[in-house]
Amino acid sequence: MEPLKVVVAGPVGAGKSTIIRTLSETEVVDTDALASEEIGKETTTVAMDYGTLHLGDQLLYLFGTPGQDRFDFMWDVLSEGALGLLMLVRGDRPEDFGPARRLLDYITSRHPVPYVLGVTRQDQPPVWGPDEVAPFFGVPLERVVGLNAKDPRSAVGPLVRLLELIMAEEQAT
Amino acid sequence: MTKQEQLQGILRELKQALPELRSIVVASTDGLPIVHDAADAPRVAAMAATALGLGKRISQTTDLGSLEETIVRGNQGYFVVYAAGDKGVLAVSAPSDANLGLIHLEARSYAARLAQVL
Repeated sequence: MEPLKVVVAGPVGAGKSTIIRTLSETEVVDTDALASEEIGKETTTVAMDYGTLHLGDQLLYLFGTPGQDRFDFMWDVLSEGALGLLMLVRGDRPEDFGPARRLLDYITSRHPVPYVLGVTRQDQPPVWGPDEVAPFFGVPLERVVGLNAKDPRSAVGPLVRLLELIMAEEQAT
Repeated sequence: MTKQEQLQGILRELKQALPELRSIVVASTDGLPIVHDAADAPRVAAMAATALGLGKRISQTTDLGSLEETIVRGNQGYFVVYAAGDKGVLAVSAPSDANLGLIHLEARSYAARLAQVL
């Protein structure tokens, strides 16, 4: 089976670097720099994160993007050749839903690949669940998965769903 | 003198030292412009931070030691990014006939001065 390239995108603080660190079976390549604006954390990704993960026999290459709009050129660079998109958004920060939705539209319009919307921080209520977030994004509930990016068993969920969607799409064509 | 004025002063001196430079951008390591003379500074600042961040990681991963600079060379010129301490990035753009050795020499020492102010 060919390895599958998956892009992990989403607004600042959604958990993109975290999920890759949680799941990667190989040493993670990260590019953290000190944050000079108030973003609720000390560092931020400026180029990419990279990790690898097996789901059964299928090898996934995970490419995480920077979150800030000023790094939008990296979204295109990293989406090149990707076969799936995991879009993350913080479930406890509804003000991020609008920007995340625009980001999802931006990437899927330029790189039409199967995607899953992962709603993070499900372990930290009060938090919006997948069933509440799906209508806001106008995407089918089957494409929305809740997770805790720090917990390996929970974090793998959206990627399993994404792989199912990719395989279903392959069979349909 | 404010920090911004000091940085502007260093930028002006660097331009005098290296008049062949097409543009100079000083940015934070997370890609926000601080002082510059470039038309497209926000975009260049973000790209410079990306180039430096990735360069550092490549340098580490491939056992090159600590990063000196990241160089992009096109057929019409250079774009070189230097670390200015752990908070700043100095990016300069120069035509292809510029003396790259001289640019490195000057830019590295100016990057060190910028680092002190930042």
